[in-house]
Amino acid sequence: MTDHFSIQFFYSMRSNFLKLRLLYILPFLFLSGALSAADIAAGKTLFSNNCGTCHAKDMKSKLTGPPLSGVQAKWGDDKALYSWIRNSQASIAAGQPNAVAIWNEYKPTVMTAFPNLKDDEIASILLYVADAANGGGNKGTAVVAKPGAKKSGNGLMYGLVFALLAGLALALARIISNLNRTVAAAEGANVAPTTLVDTLTSKGVIGFVVFALIVLGGYTTVNNAISLGRSQEYAPSQPIKFSHATHAGIQKIDCQYCHDGARRSKHSIIPATNTCMNCHKAITKGSQYGTAEITKIFASIGFDPNTGKYIPNYDNLKEEQVAEVYKTWIATNYAADKKLDPATAAASKDVKLVADAQWNDIAKSLKTEIKDKVQGPIQWKRVHNLPDHVYFNHAQHVTVGKVTCQKCHGEVEKMGTLKQASPLSMGWCVNCHRETEVKFKDNDYYKSYARYHEEIKKGTREKVTVEDIGGLECQKCHY
Amino acid sequence: MELKNQSVWTGVEDLTKSESFIELASQEFTDLPQLPSQENNGFTATRRDFLKYLGFSVGAATVAASCEIPVKRAIPYVTKPDSIVPGIANYYASSFVNGGDYAAILVKTREGRPIKIEGNDLSKINGSGTSARAQAAVLSLYDTNRIAEPSAIANGKPTKTTWAELDKVVAGKLSAASQIRILTHTILSPMTNKAIAEFTKKYPNTKVVTYDPVSSAAILAANEQSFGDRVIPNYKFDAADVIVSVGADFLGTWISPTEYATQYAKNRKIASAAEAKMSRHIQVESYMSLTGSNADNRVLIKPSEQGAAIAALYNEVAALSGGIAVAAPALNAKAAKALKKVAAELVAAKGKSLIISGSNNVGEQVLVNAANNLLGNYGATIDFTEASLQRQGDEANAQALLAEMSGVNAVFILGANPVFELPNGDKFAEALKKADLTISFNPMMDETTAVCKFAAPANHGLESWGDAQPKRGHYSLVQPTIKPLFNTRQSEQSLLTWAGASPATEQPMYDYLRATWQADMFSKQRNYATFNAFWDATLHNGVFQVAANAVKPTFKGDTNGAAATVTQPVKADVEITFYETVNIGGGQYANNPWLQEMPDPVTRTVWGNVLSVPVKWDGINDFNGFKDLKDGDKVEIEVAGKKLKCTVVRQFGQPEGTVAIAVGYGRTQAGYCGTGVGTNVQAVLPMKDGRVQYFATAKVSGKTGEDKSFASVQYHHTLGITGMGKEEKAIINVDEKALGYKGFQGSLTARTVIRRTNLKEVKKFAAELQTERAHHQKLNSYTLYRGHMDKYTSGHHWGMNIDLNACTGCGACTVACMAENNVPVVGKDEVARHHEMAWLRIDRYYYGDVENPNVVYQPMMCQHCDNAPCENVCPVNATSHSSEGLNQMTYNRCIGTRYCANNCPYKVRRFNWQDYTTADIFPWNERDLRGKTLGFRTEMPYGADNLTRMVLNPDVTVRTRGVIEKCSLCVQRIQEGKLTAKKESRQLRDSDVKVACQTACPTGAIVFGDKNNPASQVSKLNQSDMNFIVLEEINVKSNMTYSVKVTNRDEKLEA
Repeated sequence: MTDHFSIQFFYSMRSNFLKLRLLYILPFLFLSGALSAADIAAGKTLFSNNCGTCHAKDMKSKLTGPPLSGVQAKWGDDKALYSWIRNSQASIAAGQPNAVAIWNEYKPTVMTAFPNLKDDEIASILLYVADAANGGGNKGTAVVAKPGAKKSGNGLMYGLVFALLAGLALALARIISNLNRTVAAAEGANVAPTTLVDTLTSKGVIGFVVFALIVLGGYTTVNNAISLGRSQEYAPSQPIKFSHATHAGIQKIDCQYCHDGARRSKHSIIPATNTCMNCHKAITKGSQYGTAEITKIFASIGFDPNTGKYIPNYDNLKEEQVAEVYKTWIATNYAADKKLDPATAAASKDVKLVADAQWNDIAKSLKTEIKDKVQGPIQWKRVHNLPDHVYFNHAQHVTVGKVTCQKCHGEVEKMGTLKQASPLSMGWCVNCHRETEVKFKDNDYYKSYARYHEEIKKGTREKVTVEDIGGLECQKCHY
Repeated sequence: MELKNQSVWTGVEDLTKSESFIELASQEFTDLPQLPSQENNGFTATRRDFLKYLGFSVGAATVAASCEIPVKRAIPYVTKPDSIVPGIANYYASSFVNGGDYAAILVKTREGRPIKIEGNDLSKINGSGTSARAQAAVLSLYDTNRIAEPSAIANGKPTKTTWAELDKVVAGKLSAASQIRILTHTILSPMTNKAIAEFTKKYPNTKVVTYDPVSSAAILAANEQSFGDRVIPNYKFDAADVIVSVGADFLGTWISPTEYATQYAKNRKIASAAEAKMSRHIQVESYMSLTGSNADNRVLIKPSEQGAAIAALYNEVAALSGGIAVAAPALNAKAAKALKKVAAELVAAKGKSLIISGSNNVGEQVLVNAANNLLGNYGATIDFTEASLQRQGDEANAQALLAEMSGVNAVFILGANPVFELPNGDKFAEALKKADLTISFNPMMDETTAVCKFAAPANHGLESWGDAQPKRGHYSLVQPTIKPLFNTRQSEQSLLTWAGASPATEQPMYDYLRATWQADMFSKQRNYATFNAFWDATLHNGVFQVAANAVKPTFKGDTNGAAATVTQPVKADVEITFYETVNIGGGQYANNPWLQEMPDPVTRTVWGNVLSVPVKWDGINDFNGFKDLKDGDKVEIEVAGKKLKCTVVRQFGQPEGTVAIAVGYGRTQAGYCGTGVGTNVQAVLPMKDGRVQYFATAKVSGKTGEDKSFASVQYHHTLGITGMGKEEKAIINVDEKALGYKGFQGSLTARTVIRRTNLKEVKKFAAELQTERAHHQKLNSYTLYRGHMDKYTSGHHWGMNIDLNACTGCGACTVACMAENNVPVVGKDEVARHHEMAWLRIDRYYYGDVENPNVVYQPMMCQHCDNAPCENVCPVNATSHSSEGLNQMTYNRCIGTRYCANNCPYKVRRFNWQDYTTADIFPWNERDLRGKTLGFRTEMPYGADNLTRMVLNPDVTVRTRGVIEKCSLCVQRIQEGKLTAKKESRQLRDSDVKVACQTACPTGAIVFGDKNNPASQVSKLNQSDMNFIVLEEINVKSNMTYSVKVTNRDEKLEA
């Protein structure tokens, strides 16, 4: 926490470096490791945007491009490496030995040229590569401070102010009561001093406490009752560790490529396994989990990655037969990763154990209480659940209303595990319908609302919200 | 004879202003629910018990509330089909076929499951309309009583087997010499016929025996005699100015009622008083049929006089148009007089008239043909070019099969149920038990399947590939909308497999159908050059029409010979008519609870058939039921020596000395919902020359008891009640009496629930009506809240226009409403306690001549009043008004005070007395649909299982116990339509939003739309001077407009 907070602090400092010379030394003393952390973070972003498509994130497995672990040591010459990164084809043409060696291994795949990368940017990438290859000890991830930090600071402040004022009020009350007593005594009345116990057990105080408890209890009960059945932040673990951050964030796959119902149907549609296969027929290993997750897709649809073909009559195979196919695949890959001799690897106990363990996990996650075999659909856990009496139509919002997916689903492209970002409560829907303007002029459908058009023409109306065309009426969503 | 001071009435009690009726009508909630425990052991709660339960429930609620939120799963597809977007409905064109019942339909599917059926407006037969039966077909798909796998049956109990084993058994038992009979209802499918032909190729001694559950065999035979064409001709009700139906219920059940109703309504709608013009419809019948209730004039005869009536009508027509008279039996004088005038009308409308009959006597049908021929109707209102194929059966063939049964090796049951449907079903059961190989393709363990040796359950129509040819030149396709739910196989596939001709492909029936159409249909058209293009287009459209070869028949019937065979009237105290109801048919639809709970349009009873008995007027102000019977009394009837117990309903317009009861009820093995509902009259149906006759002589006992659970919605939710005040000794308004003061807004004792007039007076009536309305509107315009209504002038303002003249009361809309809005079925006991949940009811009112009244049907649902009285009495704001004029009901806010229902002048709000939709986490808490107490943890009530719940519309909340619900004007469809327009960035079109009752209606009586859009159909219809608003005088500002009921009645027809 402190670390994150300081990094942000440091960033803001750095931009004003010259002006704030006096403060320069302070963060520097506290955060000696932060400089490299910052560069690694920058390197990570650059890597994700430019390199991650072809190079595995673990820096150890082969994807489209070679693993990058120890790349600087391998090349020895940073200058040659830099020019290779900027334009690999030029390096090959120049006959750079490393370049020629890689080309011979990977041709005809050509590495994309990055002529615009600056030296310090490449340095950051390499810094990140080295760090990631070491297991990412230097967490350069959370650059953005959590908004919660600021909020808790406010809370503390309010608490302090409250305590201060309460103390002041108490002190003043004490003074007033003392003065009253003094006045009373001065007027000759014999007033026994009220003790604290007397005060606390007085009718007024007890009444107030009871009243306060009822109000507080009622408030809590109502709030909790309202949140019953709501599941904002719900992020169940899924049968496949599918990451939207990888697919939508890094790879920038359009949401509607997979969720192709959103533009035309009420359902956005969970993509069918064959949609996954459009890409994963080629990408057979993941950057994070290797064979452990992507093999689940293959096992669902019956694709044999060993041969690159679909298995005929797959649905009727016995589980042992299915297991054999995919264990072979896992074992082969494991052996290749560990650089084991393919001839002896198959018999190796270690390989077998890994294959068994991985396959067991795959089989377990593809089966549920209502599906007793591996083959067939992947049974995802539904994250966004609306009650049955709510009618929601994606096409209405996406195609007609031109609402972005993120408006309701949050920054999905940054979510490793998908979570429900919005409360999906009726109040939340209604608020949006109150504020959102309809595409009144662009869509000919709205011509039938002649009166609003007239009012706009006359200038008596600025905008037409969803509410204005009946978007808050019950039977727009409940029927 | 008309009574004074009486506009319309619903029944005897209403007409006589009985005190019990006033009592009933003035109480909103007649019968509070009894908890199961009270019934079981007379348990009464004491104060201490109350405190105990209170303590327990508070404690339990606390514990429950502190639990963590349960984990819900989101399960995507593995491989998502391209065509499915979860949340968006797909529609597939298909056909509803059940025996000869047919409708071209669109099936709405959500996430791959069919949830609703709509009409296919490309169809020239039913158009966008459907029947109640077609609407309910989607529920029968999810019937838990369906046979789930091929089974061997012994003593009525199925034992599971496999298709391979069954095929082996069949192959072992059949040989080229085997005598095989396929017993079926009408087959409309060319593909099925082709499959049977292939089967016959392998087993040449195969014969198809066709009959229909309710017979039209005599029409087929008569047309063969008269024209050499054994077929039902194509009737054009829209081309006829005078329609005479002798006992044919063509708007309800006869042949192709949806098609006929569509045509019929075209000449019955009146756009404005100035252009008022309508056809004339005379019904000659012996009970109040749905069609009779829509007629302008009814000529009452006894059932055995039907032949006499037809002969008399023929003779009168012949006399006026130069035909030769035949010998006719004597007819009652009143009817004879009326028919003379009717004949004159017919002759005056030569070539624009139409006579039809539901008789199952060939001679009578030949005379009908002869009369039509004299009137020049063939080629004008009747043709054979596009003849109907919807009835092809003849039960005489089934009787012939029974006679030769000992020589038959194998019987296949293809949809038929002879053990229940035929009068001598018991003999069929015996014969089937003796046969060597009996296989039933029926989907349920019905009476016939139970005596077969094997069940080879066929797919439901919504799971099948197939086709249909309902009329010559009209074809349509059946396509599956869901994978078979059970291990079933299409019957055609079974036959082809046994014939060794099934395509060995992944989807054999798809390939077989394609091949059939490539071979037989592709060459019939010129629009598509390749078969693939033709196939894709036809599958998309669902229907395919070609010009049929013109057939010009010449009449060559023997009228004298025919006249000799007509039914001779009998002298009997009581004669009984057996008729088919709109909902249950010949019993095929018995296990469908939507249809069981749909009130019969005329008797207004649910869950069972009742004996209609005549009402006798004492000439002053008293009406007595036959033998002093009252509604709900039990009696015993004796027909042909057999005694039956049934429940009585007094029926206006039922001729003296006659009674009537519906066929198709009292199934002994129909499944959970259908078994034992009503009285089984199949066994007493008389037969003549092997053909079933739907009338007999009967004896009716006096009252033997009372039906405790008699469920008639006749007096439920009545409105605008007037009654005979005890002290006042005059007719007073019950509502005002309850209030204790009167005089406000005109002290109206004749509430304006129904407006009706005669065609002759329509101009005067319309002028008076609009003057009266203007007066009401002027009074209503005085307001304290100026500008209050301004908000409805911008955006949308939804409204409806309902044409009482086009509404035939068929009830398709009520079933459509249940399907669309997840309206629960509650069962007979609950309906008996006024707890039915239907959002849309069709009120039936009589008017005019008390001895032979006319009927008006009024679809009644929430009127979405802009000054809604329900809204301002809700203490929690659970019902409120939208800026679009919708009266919104918010279930999650409702705490169940029922003030709103109390305050609703139209009585359209329904309260969930029980957890009818079984949303309760303890299903055994609930009463069952059939009134059974459920075992603890062992049984689930109807609809609680996941299969039946698949029919629920996912866009509509399933309501729980303790909340009010009512018509929402299909707000989910409104919102969907608006969204479509918004997504396409265009203004809303009329076609974007169509509500469920509107799309189901075959006659276009219900029109919904935006009243603020001058181009909308509803705005245009609302301009008419024929419109009125129900209870307009009470200033609730209803958004529903009704159009006046007009009859073209000749008041002097019988005078």
